[in-house]
Amino acid sequence: MLTKKLPPLNSFLSLVSRRASHVTRQQYDVIVVGGGHAGTEAAAAAARVGAKTLLVSQKIQTIGALSCNPSLGGVGKGQLVREVDALDGLCGRAGDWAGIHFSILNRSKGPAVWGPRAQLDRQRYREFIQSELLSTPRLTVLEGSVEELLVSETNPEQPGHHRVTGILLANGSHPVSASSVILTTGTFLSGSLFIGQSTSPGGRIGDAPSSSGLSHTLKERLGLRVGRLRTGTPPRILRDSVDFSLAVVQPPDGHPTPFSFLNTRTHCKPEEQLPCHLTYTTPGVERVVKDSLHLNCHIQEDAKGPRYCPSIESRVLRFPGRRHQVWLEPEGLTSDLLYPQGLSMTMPPDVQLSLIRQIPALHRAKIHTHGYGVQYDFVCPTQLSPALQVKNTQGLFLAGQINGTTGYEEAAAQGLWAGVNAARCALSMPTVSLSRTESYIGVLIDDLVSRGVTEPYRMFTSRAEFRTALRPDNADMRLTLKGFEEVGCVSTLRYQEAVRVRDSLQDAQATLQALSLSSNSWKKQLPDIQISEVKNTVMTGMEVLQYNNVSFEMLASAFPESLSRHMEFSQRLKIEAVYRPHCNLQKKEIERIQKEENLLLPHDMDYLSLPVSMSQEVREILDRVRPSTLGAATRLQGITPAAIVHLLNYVRSAELRERRKHRKQQKEEREEELCAAKASLP
Amino acid sequence: MIMLPSIYRGIWRAVHTLRKRGTPPCRFLSTCDGLPVGLADAETIFALSSGHGRCGVAVVRASGPASATALRCMAGLSRSLPPPRTALLRSITDSQSKEVLDRGLVFWFPAPHSFTGEDSVEFHIHGGPAVITAVLQALGSVPGMRPAEAGEFTRRAFQAGKLDLTEVEGLGDLIHAETEAQRRQALRQMSGELGHLYQDWTHKLKRCLAHVEAFIDFSEDELIEDGVLNQVDRWVCDLQAEMEQHLKDERRGERLRSGVQVVIAGATNAGKSSLLNTLCQRPAAIVSPIAGTTRDIVETALDIGGFPVLLSDTAGLRESQDLVEREGVRRARERVEQADLTLVVVDCAHLPSDAQQAAAFLQEHLRSVLPTQEQPETVFAADRFLLLLNKTDLLPEEQRQKLDRELRRVSGFPPVCLISCHTNEGLQDFLTVLHSSVKTLCGDPLSGAPTLTQARHRAHLQQCFAALAQYQRYRDIDLALAAEGVRLALTSLGRITGRVGAEEILDIIFKDFCIGK
Repeated sequence: MLTKKLPPLNSFLSLVSRRASHVTRQQYDVIVVGGGHAGTEAAAAAARVGAKTLLVSQKIQTIGALSCNPSLGGVGKGQLVREVDALDGLCGRAGDWAGIHFSILNRSKGPAVWGPRAQLDRQRYREFIQSELLSTPRLTVLEGSVEELLVSETNPEQPGHHRVTGILLANGSHPVSASSVILTTGTFLSGSLFIGQSTSPGGRIGDAPSSSGLSHTLKERLGLRVGRLRTGTPPRILRDSVDFSLAVVQPPDGHPTPFSFLNTRTHCKPEEQLPCHLTYTTPGVERVVKDSLHLNCHIQEDAKGPRYCPSIESRVLRFPGRRHQVWLEPEGLTSDLLYPQGLSMTMPPDVQLSLIRQIPALHRAKIHTHGYGVQYDFVCPTQLSPALQVKNTQGLFLAGQINGTTGYEEAAAQGLWAGVNAARCALSMPTVSLSRTESYIGVLIDDLVSRGVTEPYRMFTSRAEFRTALRPDNADMRLTLKGFEEVGCVSTLRYQEAVRVRDSLQDAQATLQALSLSSNSWKKQLPDIQISEVKNTVMTGMEVLQYNNVSFEMLASAFPESLSRHMEFSQRLKIEAVYRPHCNLQKKEIERIQKEENLLLPHDMDYLSLPVSMSQEVREILDRVRPSTLGAATRLQGITPAAIVHLLNYVRSAELRERRKHRKQQKEEREEELCAAKASLP
Repeated sequence: MIMLPSIYRGIWRAVHTLRKRGTPPCRFLSTCDGLPVGLADAETIFALSSGHGRCGVAVVRASGPASATALRCMAGLSRSLPPPRTALLRSITDSQSKEVLDRGLVFWFPAPHSFTGEDSVEFHIHGGPAVITAVLQALGSVPGMRPAEAGEFTRRAFQAGKLDLTEVEGLGDLIHAETEAQRRQALRQMSGELGHLYQDWTHKLKRCLAHVEAFIDFSEDELIEDGVLNQVDRWVCDLQAEMEQHLKDERRGERLRSGVQVVIAGATNAGKSSLLNTLCQRPAAIVSPIAGTTRDIVETALDIGGFPVLLSDTAGLRESQDLVEREGVRRARERVEQADLTLVVVDCAHLPSDAQQAAAFLQEHLRSVLPTQEQPETVFAADRFLLLLNKTDLLPEEQRQKLDRELRRVSGFPPVCLISCHTNEGLQDFLTVLHSSVKTLCGDPLSGAPTLTQARHRAHLQQCFAALAQYQRYRDIDLALAAEGVRLALTSLGRITGRVGAEEILDIIFKDFCIGK
C-alpha cells in the first residue's frame, strides 16, 4: 500500500474540473457536501458500497486538510482510527503515509487503553486523501458552493415528514439530484470567527463563509433544533524563532507502529521521524490573559466550549496559579511552522504575541498566523437515527462537527458510517448499525443520537463500557469481517487478509489450549516464572500466557515445533490471553445490552398518551428524543428505572396483542375458507 | 453507565420474592408484575390509608390530578384551595347528594411536595366503618377517581424519584413491623440512612473511578501526576475496610427484620414442648408423658422485649426405629444447624446426683446436640446456646444449689438457667437471659452504623467487595483491568440504590483536573 506512488496533485485538479462541467446534468445516488475528515470518509465509503457518489467542496485544495492540530489518534481517538481502518476507511492509511512522529500513548497502562498517535505532515496527508479519492471508482469531485437543499414530497412508505432530493449549487447553475445527501459542513453552519473584539462570518480562516440558505433550510424548512458551540485554534509559530534549548525533547517511538491493519511499516523511516517539544506556561501568561479579558469577546460569549480542549484563557481562568503544558509540534518534514498545542487563543493579535513570549522557549517567537475562535451551529444529534439519518427527513444524513462532535477521528468515524448508510439507502438496501458493545464507533453514534451533546463531544476510552473487549489490537476481528459480509464497505483484498489473520489466530489459540501440562512441568519449562499454583494442576498454554511476565516468545522457544509458526501474532496472542477471561465475564452483560438494543421502539409511538404509568417529565423526554431501541432509552438522562420497566412491559404486551390479533385473523380466515368450502359443497 | 433496566427488573423481582417469602408478608409491591399496562397516569387514586376496623380517626388519601377537584367539592371549597400542608376543619359532604358525611380535617399537598410527587389530599375523618365507607363512595363518584391498587401510592412515589429502592424497602418494613425494634430499624432505613451510607460509598467509588479514568484518558498529555493513583489506592483500602465492617454484622439487621430463629432441642421428654407452651402462653404443642410425642417442628412467633423471635419446638433427639420419628429427629438436627440460638433442654431428674459428674454429663450431652461439624468451644463462645435444666421442682433444694454452683464454676459452658415449666420457677430469670441473647443477635437498631437488612444488599455488597480486590490485583499490571474492577464495584453498589453513568464519571474528571491540550 505504501509502495505506490501518489499521482501529482495537478492531474487530480484537472480531472476534477473536467468532470465539473457535466456534473450538474447527472443523477447521483449520494451527494456529500464538505471535504473534511467526515466528508472524505463519507464519499469514499459510499462509493465503496457501490453508490454513484459526488463530493462537493468549496475549495478543491483544502480537501483532506488538517484544519487544526497536525496529529491523528491518541487515547480513545486511536481506537476510532483503527476501527475506521478496519472498515476500509482512509484516515489510518493516510496517517501511516503522512506520519512523521509515531508513539503509542498509555504504553504502561494495558493494551486495551493504548493510544496509537502520530504527528502528521499536513501536505502529505492532504495529498494522500486527494489521491485516494481520485482513484476511487464511482466517485466524482466537484468544486462548488451549495446554496440550498432540494426538499420534496415524502415517500409514504417510509417514516419522515420531508424528503431530500438533491442540492442547488451557488451561481445559479442547475440543481443536482441524488437519493441521499450527506452534510459534513463542519464549523461552517452559521459560523463566525473571532479575534479580539472583531468578528466575521466564516468557518475557517481563509475560506468563504457558507451560504445562509443551507442553514435556513435546516432550521426553518426541516424544523431541526440547533445549538451553538465554540472552538478555537492556536497561533502558528515560526520554527526558527523558537529557543528549543528551553524546552524538553519528546522523542518518538523507536519502532513506529502503523495505524492500518494493512501496513507493516510506516512511510516515514524510524530515523527520519521528528521530535516534539514540551514547555510550560508562566505566571506572566495568566497576567496577560486577565489584563486582556475586556478585549476578548469570544471568551465572554456563552456558547459552550469543550472542557477538555479549552483555550489558554479558560485554562488559566478555571485553574489559576498552575503551570500548564504547551506542546510544540512540527507541522511537517519541510514546514517551517510549529503548532503550539494547548495555546488556543482568541485575544487581539498584539496581545497574542506578548502572551506567547511569556513562555520560556517562545521568548523571542514570531507568529505566522494568529489564533482565532469559531462559533458555529450544530444540529442536536438526538434528531438522528443510529444510521445518522435525520429522522424527519428521508435521504438526509449528517456527520462530523455538524453533529456537535470535535476531532478528526470522531468526524471520520461518523463520515464513514453516514456514507455507508446513505449509499445503502440510495441503493434500496436496509440501513445498518453498530452496537456500542462491538465498537467505539457504536459508542460514539449511540451517545450522540440517544443522549445528545452539551459541549463538543470527544471520544474517551471511559465512554466505552466494554473497553476491555474493544481494543485497538482487535478492531479488524470486530469489524472487517462484518464490514465485508454485512455492510459491503470492505474490499475483497482486505477481507481476505482479515480471514487469514482470523484463521491463524484461531489456530494458534487452539494450539495453546491443547498444550496442557502439569504446573510442575511448566515450572521446568519456564524456570524464571513464578507459577503460583501450589497443587500440581494441569494448565493450558493459554492460561500460562496470562501470567504477567510470560511472553508468547518464551512459549515459542520452549515449544518451537508447534508455536514458532505463529510468531507473527505473538503480541496479539498475549493480549488475547490476558483479556479473554475478563471479556468472557462481560459476555452476559453484552448479550443483555444487545437484547435491549434489539428491542425496537416503534418510531411513531405516542409517548404522551401511552396508557402506562409514567410521569409527564419522562413522557416528554421520550417524546422529544424518540429513542430507537429500549437500550437507547435506558441511557437517556432523566428516565427512571421504573419507566423503563413499564415501557418494556408495554412493548412486550403490544407485541403479544399484535400476535394474538394476527392469530385470530388467521383463524377467522381459515374459518371463512372452511365456510366457503362447505358452501361450495353440493 | 451503567445501570440498566434489567438490573431493576431483577431488583424488582428480588424485592418481590423476598417480600413474598419473608415475614411479615408484604402486599405492598405485590401488584407490580405486569400491572402497569392499561393504567393511565391521568387517573387519580384514593384509598383508606389507616388500618381497617373501628378506630378513632381514619385517614383517606387521594393522589393525582383530580385530587384538587375532589377536595373542592367534598370540603365545600368552591373558590380557593386551602394553604398547602395546613390542617383545615371542614364538613365533608357527598358532592352529588350534598349530604354531610362527617366533620374532619382536610390537607392539601400540591405537587411536587407530596409523598407521591403528585397533587394529593388527605381527609382525616372519624374511624367508624360507616363514615369511611360513605367517604370512599363519595370520592369514587368524583370524575377521574378510582380506588388505588395495593402499593400504588408507594409505586408512584418511587416512580417520581421520591424514594430510592432501599427507602421503598424500608417503608414496606415499617408498615409491616410487628415489634418495636423492627419498627425502629425500618424507620431508620426508610428515612434513607442505609441509602445514604450506600450513596456515600457510591460517591467515593465514583471518585475513585473518575481518577483512574482521568489517569488513563489524560495523563499522557496533561498534568495528571502519578500521585492520583496513590490517592485512589488509599480510598479503595478505606472503602474495603468499611465494607468489611458492614458485612461483618453477623446478619444482625436481617435477623431483626425476619425474626431470630430460636430452636428448642434436647432429649425426649425433657419438657421442650412444655417450654414452648409456657413461653407462648397457650398450648401450641401437644404435651404428654410419652417420650417422642413431638415428631414434626412446631413453630410460633414471639415478641421478646421488642425483638421478633421465631421459636421452634423439635422432636426429642434419640435413636429410633420408627420411620416417622427418625425423620423428625433429622429435621430437628437440621433446625439446630440453622438456628441463631438453641435452647438445650435437659431433664434434671436424669442428671447424676453428684454435681461434678453432672457437669461432665452435661458437657457430653451438649456435644450430642451440637451440629456435628462444629467444635463446641467456638459455638459456646458465639453465644449461640442456652442450657436449660428443666423440672427443677423435682430436685431437692440442696442438690439444686450444688448443681448451680458447680455449673457456674466450670468454664466452657453456655449460660445455664434452672427452670420449671411446671411451677414457672426461674422462668423470669430465663426470660432476662433470653432477651439479652436475642438483643445481641439483632444489635441495637438505633445505635452505630445502619445495618444490612436484606440478603439482596449483602449479595451485591459482597460482589462489590470482591471487585475492589480486582483493582488491587491489577493496579500495577494493567490499569484497564484495574479500572474494570472499580467499575464492577460501582455497578454492584448501584444495583442497591441507583444508577451511575459514564457522564457522571466525566463530570468528576473535569471538576477535579485541568484537562487541556
